[in-house]
Formats: sequence, structure tokens, C-alpha cells
Amino acid sequence: MTALLDITDLKVTFNTRYGQVTALDGVSLHVNAGETLGVVGESGCGKSITALATMGLIPMPPGRIAGGSIRLAGEELVGASPARMRAMRGADIAMIFQEPMTSLNPVFTVGDQIAEAIMLHQKVSADRAFKDAVALLDRVGIPSPADRARDYPHQLSGGMRQRVMIAMAVSCRPKVLIADEPTTALDVTVQAQIFDLLNEIQRDFGAAIVLITHDMGAISEMADRVAVMYAGRIIEEATADDVLDFPQHPYARGLIDCIPALGREEHALKEIPGVVPPLHLLGAGCAFAERCEHANDRCRQEKPLLVNHDHHPAACHAVEEGRI
Amino acid sequence: MTKLLDVRDLTVRFAMPRKGLFGPRPLLEAVRSVSFTLEKGRALGIVGESGSGKTTTAMAAIRLTEAASGQVLFEGEDLLALPDEEMRAHRRNVQLIFQDPYSSLNPRARVIDIVREPMDLMEMGTMEERNARVRDLFKLVGLRPDQLNLFPHQFSGGQRQRISIARALTTNPKLLVCDEPVSALDVAIQAQILNLLARLKDELGLSYLLISHDLGVVRHVCDDVAVMYLGKIVEHASRSALFDSAQHPYTQALLSAAPSLARRKSKGYVRPLKISGDPPSPINPPPGCAFADRCPRAQDICREVQPDLEDKGPTRVACHFPGPIAA
Repeated sequence: MTALLDITDLKVTFNTRYGQVTALDGVSLHVNAGETLGVVGESGCGKSITALATMGLIPMPPGRIAGGSIRLAGEELVGASPARMRAMRGADIAMIFQEPMTSLNPVFTVGDQIAEAIMLHQKVSADRAFKDAVALLDRVGIPSPADRARDYPHQLSGGMRQRVMIAMAVSCRPKVLIADEPTTALDVTVQAQIFDLLNEIQRDFGAAIVLITHDMGAISEMADRVAVMYAGRIIEEATADDVLDFPQHPYARGLIDCIPALGREEHALKEIPGVVPPLHLLGAGCAFAERCEHANDRCRQEKPLLVNHDHHPAACHAVEEGRI
Repeated sequence: MTKLLDVRDLTVRFAMPRKGLFGPRPLLEAVRSVSFTLEKGRALGIVGESGSGKTTTAMAAIRLTEAASGQVLFEGEDLLALPDEEMRAHRRNVQLIFQDPYSSLNPRARVIDIVREPMDLMEMGTMEERNARVRDLFKLVGLRPDQLNLFPHQFSGGQRQRISIARALTTNPKLLVCDEPVSALDVAIQAQILNLLARLKDELGLSYLLISHDLGVVRHVCDDVAVMYLGKIVEHASRSALFDSAQHPYTQALLSAAPSLARRKSKGYVRPLKISGDPPSPINPPPGCAFADRCPRAQDICREVQPDLEDKGPTRVACHFPGPIAA
């Protein structure tokens, strides 16, 4: 089976005042139709850059796709013409951003904004598009959708705005939906509503979802498969159950153990010491070595590769050598 | 056990912009007759959605927001009745940690000056004594003395929150109000700060009023939990009672909404309790229970009569039909 979205060995660099830094260093990911892939990691790990590169939204310059390929249903997106990318964005691949308030236009009604997305990709009249927009608002669970369609973004609550974003994103039935921390700015009860909505939409439309998050709890509820990122690389990838129950890489273990989870009450949380290193200071070895209790000299000198053990690849010398 | 803080019938109102040139100014009742106590050496968590009044309650309890009525007894003394000068002297007993460590530290000041400032204002000891105390506090919160002369932008989010904590501790406070202390931080860093807060509470015998929307965070740090909804406490209990046998349907909804590693997509998870919609507007709150419109158990009485917070079974709960989730 060929994957719907297939990213292979993607390399993205940025020119910064520290010189050229590598934000993505050989990232490979794939998502199948109807599947949810969770991409997890701390800020600065390259999760959002992966999403932006897929959407063709990396600012160039200073960014540059230095290598690799992104294939959507077999079509190569790296190097595609801007016109082709514009036609694809919204129609075949759509994105939901973290802050609905900053990604909606404050001076147009939400109905008009959804209708605009529909008219860009389908040959329909403005009336027809607005009616479709109202139907979509109804579909994402907005009460009295015909009235709300005439509201401006500031008149809606955060949860409603995120529903509008979802309505806009699914307006042209995209094959792939990228959700970049879609619930970070929302309350837990609203977050639960949005998660349930995304799952429903996936069932109805059969879209593949890429869910970017730093929350292992969200991964548990939403994802079929998980890729853990650290400093621009994938360091572990497996089914959600395998990653949550048998995490291999010390960083993946840390991300799970550090959650103050409901149903666990031990006195001290396990900490991951330190922070993600700045990309311009990455050395030759494993980027996690400085924060890792299992690191040895080999870890500090040689970058570990993603090695497949029992369909559960992890990039860690300690795992490979059987030290943990 | 001795009561450190005893809040009685605290009410806070905000005047909204008037409707029309001569219209009345509508009042928004952000905190509606809230009562709770905090014992010495314990941590009380206040949880609720945005707009539930949790921050306003804490700010009014330490007199940073003006209360419309009520009493706040701090070690038996009513803070709301103190003259301004006495209240200023009293401030050393209560310190704050804010949510956003990027906007709560002066970007132009060196961190040694930031941390020392409360002692300067309170005129505590000599300059050498104050600087020595800053150095001690730096070690206590896990920072290095050689970082003392740096500026805030040279620190990461977690380190900045450590600086905020050090600054809050300078005056030897009895009560620390933590307003969403980790919600701006990455998960891996949250654990570091939560462990630090738990350690400081034990070592220094501090009491916390911790405001959070994250039940996991509250469960980790707090001994007691109060759940707020539209300006009222709807359930108040010890940590174990609240997490194991919540009685209020809103608390139950919060618990089933919080993401959990136990709910797996692969196992086809179903939330035990779902609620839809948003809370009602606090400007004209409904006459009955504010949660009635979203509540699966609501009957006619819920829309008409406001339930009081009463001891019912394992928790104190404001609900006409409290009880475990119906199977």
C-alpha cells in the first residue's frame, strides 16, 4: 500500500545570524488514508517546520528545502510551481493552526471567509458557497449556523473559532488535514469537543490527519501511529500503543513519565533535565545526549540512526546496544 | 490545624461599558459569594474553565482586585478592612507567581535586581544581606550564582519561572499564589517546576493557592481542590475525594475531558460524560444553577433554584442531584 502523504529524507535549512542551521535533518514520515499520525516533541523540535514544509509555506529565504521529497498521492510537492501549490493547498491538503484568532481575518464574517475558500477551489456562485459555508458550520457543531455565519471572529468564543477553522479546512474535502496544536489555546472541555469532532470528521470524510502536539495524553486519544521528534529528527516511530506502553528512546520515555497524569499520584514527577539545545549548537553526537542519563562517549560522538527493532524504530545507541 | 486564609462570601463585580450615552452600566459578577478556607502548609487548587472566576477569586483574596463584599481573614485579620499602609506592610506575607514568565520579568533589569526588588521595597536588612539572600534563593530554586548578572532574555522559560519563584520567596511569604504557573511551559519543563513547587512547600512550610485549568497539575501539587463554574465554587474536597468520587456533573465532565494515557484510540475510547456548548454569560447569569443548560441531569428545579455548597457524601457540592456518573 502506498502512503497518501509520503515524506522521505526531508532536509530544511535556515540562514540565521549564527550561520546556516539545519531545522529538519532527514525526516521521513508517511500517513495513510483514514489514519491519524501523531507528531510529538517539545517546542523547537521541528514539528511545525515539517507541517509548513508539507504545505509549501516555509518562508524562502531564509528557509530552503535542501533535500528529500514530499509526495501527496504520488505527486511530488518539493519544487512544484507556486500556482500548483496554491491549487493544492486547501483542496487536497489543509491545515488547522494553533491560534484561531490570529489565523482568521478580523474584518470579514466567518461565513464569507469559508465561502472564499470554497470559491477558490470550486466553480460555484457566491450564494451557493455561502450556503455551503452555513452547512459546514452546522456540520462542525455550531448552533444557529445561519446567524453565526454573519458574525465576525471576535464575536465567537475560542472553541467556536477553532470550529470555524476546522469547517474552513474541511470545506473542500482535503485528503490530508494537518492540525498544528489545535487545542493549546482552549479549555479542556472544549479541547475534548474538538478532539471528538476531528475524529468524527475523519470517520465521515476519510481524511488522513497529522496531529502535531506536545501532549502525550492527546496522542493517546487521537493517534493511530506516533512519530517522536527531537532537534529536527525523528527519534522513534511506532503505533500509538507501542510508543505509549513500550517507549524505547529515553526522550520518548521522558515525555511520558513527566506528565502529571490523572490516575497517577507518585510524589515526584520524572524530569527531563535541561532544554532542547539551540540548533546552531548541535554537535556531532546525539542531540539528546546532554539531557540523557544513559549517554556515553559513543552517544556524544556519533549520531544514532533510526534502527528498526520489531517494527518499532528508535534512534538511540543505548537501545541498540541493549543498555536500556 | 490552623487556618491561614478564611474567605467568606467574597463577591467581585466589574462595571461594563454603559449601553448608550445615559444608559446604566451593566455589572458583571465575576465572583459570586465564594467561601473557602486554606490551612497552613497546605495547597488549595482552584480549577475551572477560562471565565470561571478562578483568577479573580485569588486576586480579590489577596486584595489585588477590589471586592464588592465579603471578608478575607488572613490569620484572623480581615485584609479587606485594613488601611492601605497596613496592607502594604502585609504584602510581604503573600507573594505571586504569574503564568507568563516572559512578560512578568522586567526585560531591562538584571535578574539579581529583579529578585532583590521586593526586599528593597520592604527595606529588609542591608544591601549585602539582601544580595546574599538572592544568592541563597538562586541555589534553592536550582539556578547558578554565576547567572545572577544576566538579563531575563538570556534564560529559558523554565529558568525564568525559577527566577519568578525566587523573587516571590525573598520576603519569606506564608502564602504563595500561583496563577497557572506551568501552562506557558513545555511538558518536559512543567515537571521540573512542579517538582520544585512541591519541594519548596515541604522545605519552607509554604501554603499555596494554585490556579490551574489542568487537573493533572492540581492533582500533583494540591491537597484540596475547589472547582469553579461561572463565579461559584461547585465542588470542594480533598484531592483523593475529588479525583476518586466527584459528585458534581461539571467536575465529572472536567475529569472525562482531560486527556489521559488510559484512553486509547486503538481501544475505541468513549468519554464517560460529554458536555456541549460554552458557559452562559456572567452578565445576566441564569437564576438557577449556572451549569443547568449543559448538564445531563438537569431538572426543572435546577433552572429555578440555585443549589448551595453543602456536605453531601464524600465532597462538598453545590448540586440538586449529586452522585457518581450514572452507568
